[in-house]
Amino acid sequence: MTPDREDRLWMYRIMYLSRQFEERIKPAYFEGKQPMFNMAKGPIPGEMHLSEGQEPCAVGVCAHLRADDWVTAPHRPHHIAIAKGVDLRAMAAEIFGKKAGLSGGRGGHMHLFDVRVNFSCSGIIAQGMGPAAGAALAAKLRGSDQVAVAFIGEGAANQGAFHETLNLAAVWNLPCLFVIEDNSYGISVAKRDSTAIPSNAARAAAYGMPGIAVADNDPDAVYRAAGEAIARARAGGGPSLIEIETTRLEGHFMGDVEGYRPEGEVAALKVRDPLIVYRERLLSDGFDAAELDDSERSAVADVDDAFAFARETPLPDAVEAFDHVFA
Amino acid sequence: MTETTSKRRLTIARAMSEAIAQEMERDPDVLVMGEDVAKLGGVFSTTTGLLDRFGPDRVRDTPISETAFIGAAVGLAAAGMRPVVELMFVDFFGVCMDPIYNLAAKQNYFSGGQIQCPMVLMTSVGGGYGDGGQHSQCLYASFAHLPGMKVVIPSNAHDAKGLMTAAIADPNPVIFMFHKSLQGVGWLGTVLGAITDVPEARYEVPIGKASVVHEGTDVTVVGLGLTVHHALDAAKQVAGRGVSIEVIDLRTVAPLDRETIRASVRKTGRLIVVDDDYLSFGVTGEVIASVCEDRSITLRAAPARIAHPDIPIPFTPVMEHFVLPSSAKVVAAIEDMMEAGHD
Amino acid sequence: MTDVAIALDWWEDGSEGAISAWLVDDGDRVEAGVIVAEVMNEKVSFELFAPTSGIISIFVPAETPVVPGQVVARIAP
Repeated sequence: MTPDREDRLWMYRIMYLSRQFEERIKPAYFEGKQPMFNMAKGPIPGEMHLSEGQEPCAVGVCAHLRADDWVTAPHRPHHIAIAKGVDLRAMAAEIFGKKAGLSGGRGGHMHLFDVRVNFSCSGIIAQGMGPAAGAALAAKLRGSDQVAVAFIGEGAANQGAFHETLNLAAVWNLPCLFVIEDNSYGISVAKRDSTAIPSNAARAAAYGMPGIAVADNDPDAVYRAAGEAIARARAGGGPSLIEIETTRLEGHFMGDVEGYRPEGEVAALKVRDPLIVYRERLLSDGFDAAELDDSERSAVADVDDAFAFARETPLPDAVEAFDHVFA
Repeated sequence: MTETTSKRRLTIARAMSEAIAQEMERDPDVLVMGEDVAKLGGVFSTTTGLLDRFGPDRVRDTPISETAFIGAAVGLAAAGMRPVVELMFVDFFGVCMDPIYNLAAKQNYFSGGQIQCPMVLMTSVGGGYGDGGQHSQCLYASFAHLPGMKVVIPSNAHDAKGLMTAAIADPNPVIFMFHKSLQGVGWLGTVLGAITDVPEARYEVPIGKASVVHEGTDVTVVGLGLTVHHALDAAKQVAGRGVSIEVIDLRTVAPLDRETIRASVRKTGRLIVVDDDYLSFGVTGEVIASVCEDRSITLRAAPARIAHPDIPIPFTPVMEHFVLPSSAKVVAAIEDMMEAGHD
Repeated sequence: MTDVAIALDWWEDGSEGAISAWLVDDGDRVEAGVIVAEVMNEKVSFELFAPTSGIISIFVPAETPVVPGQVVARIAP
């Protein structure tokens, strides 16, 4: 299952768009937070977990998904939401806490929900896995070929819900896929210090499902592995686990100065930035630079539009806090 | 929280790490575990400097496995050690409540006193800085409701060190809650009133004793953690209008110091309770019930309570700040109560 | 008179931090080695210690920008 030309161009464009989105959030996030980094201040308060470097994981998987397939994402969701087709304006507005946001400002950056593309995310580690299994069960019971995908980090593979959900998905033969974005760090704790074995893909066998390790943050390789797993799930072949070796180019959260990372590590990663690497590969595979530039320009235009909207659209009324507690 | 002549003020974060360090120095059975507590010194700076001083055997970074490492803490305690475990955000209790309320809290009871559980579970609480509904909760009542554990929350650095020391010494499981706004880590804002003198020597603040932090005669205002500071701000504001309020800092949620609260309301005849946790089935109801059931107390006005309403905590600041308690809400409640009861 | 300054090696030049809280007041008597302020750059905290004992005069209030090397207070014997 190799990506064709159209898939690869889509992946590049979405990776680029996703990166632009994150790069635009950064200065907005730091507004009002200098020189005193007070998390409560500015147009985007709270925590912010950006996905620079992890884009290949999102595009390689979501390239195979339809709007009616489900995706659950963790506290670092933007690249996944974008790849899934979440409304960009409403997403930006939600991050800025606006009334036109996906949840009218109630959720914020870690709690993005878009029912039109069956996307949700949650801030508690590994807790998106159970709901993905449940959505997959619904598909199975209805005789639909929809699938559900849960994205987690490598730290989540040590959480109880990971083990329980893998077993449940396998014993019930559910059409789902579990994708681990291994960026080597759970906040400050390196994978080698938290995980008893080097590869979480190897854990899949313990739960009766295929486990695939994807190296090198390669969108084409993610595409191939995810394509097979999703096709298998749609055909009734049950769940799979994929672990992708990816890179977190920024801190765990904005403001994290990463004193726990060895010197030079981040600089070395930035040289292998997946955007740079993929663009080079596409060019050497015969893509036209002008075509890629066009994609980049249109991505920037989309992000500009979303941010302009998010800035201008009004805040909700405070009393709207009481809406939607119950249906 | 009185001034002394020796200027040695600390933030709550520093007071906590100092208390833990002193106890680890005294007692080789004390150890610390949790996510990011070793190299990073804790996401909220609760364990700064401990790894360098005591090494990786006694200061351990754990995987993201709360059920496992908190369960392990119960076992360590049963084996005679004194673990101090960090649950990064109280909101994460959902993934690990069993070892807390079914094991730690019941170990001494089920064993008829044979096996104790001298563990401290320290955990961050509170919002007001836009972290959303899964990272801003308080949940005091959720823990206080379950028998067998003590629950404490300091409002200032002096009490933080004393309560941590007492918690580590206590043979029972103690949930040590620290409010994110009061930590003094700067990036969560600074509440100057929480930064207080902290003696260098070892001392304990007794668990189960509330403190009258501002004396008064007209209204008793009961708070905990951050809401103590709202009440103290309100005290200053209404003093200018001739109203004298008595502020009680609970310090311990469970076991609740009903005597101190009742003695105060016996004197003032009026009660307001301020809590940034959810309104219903919580601390405010418990304090009011504890006063109302005391037949020796005559109330001059119906009690009032200020709390976060029964809704998930919204992200967007205009909503979050609308629903959270504040000193302005306390002032309004005091004035309302004084006006209504005026005879 | 002894300077109390933001250490040169705390964070990179060109970046601003701030004193998040003074732990003493202007005019207080301080002992050498006591923490006098918490300083922040992004999310990292640093402790500012009194280098000598004496009476401290504070020049820079909390929450204003500071840079490495900046003198923020002085201690007179």
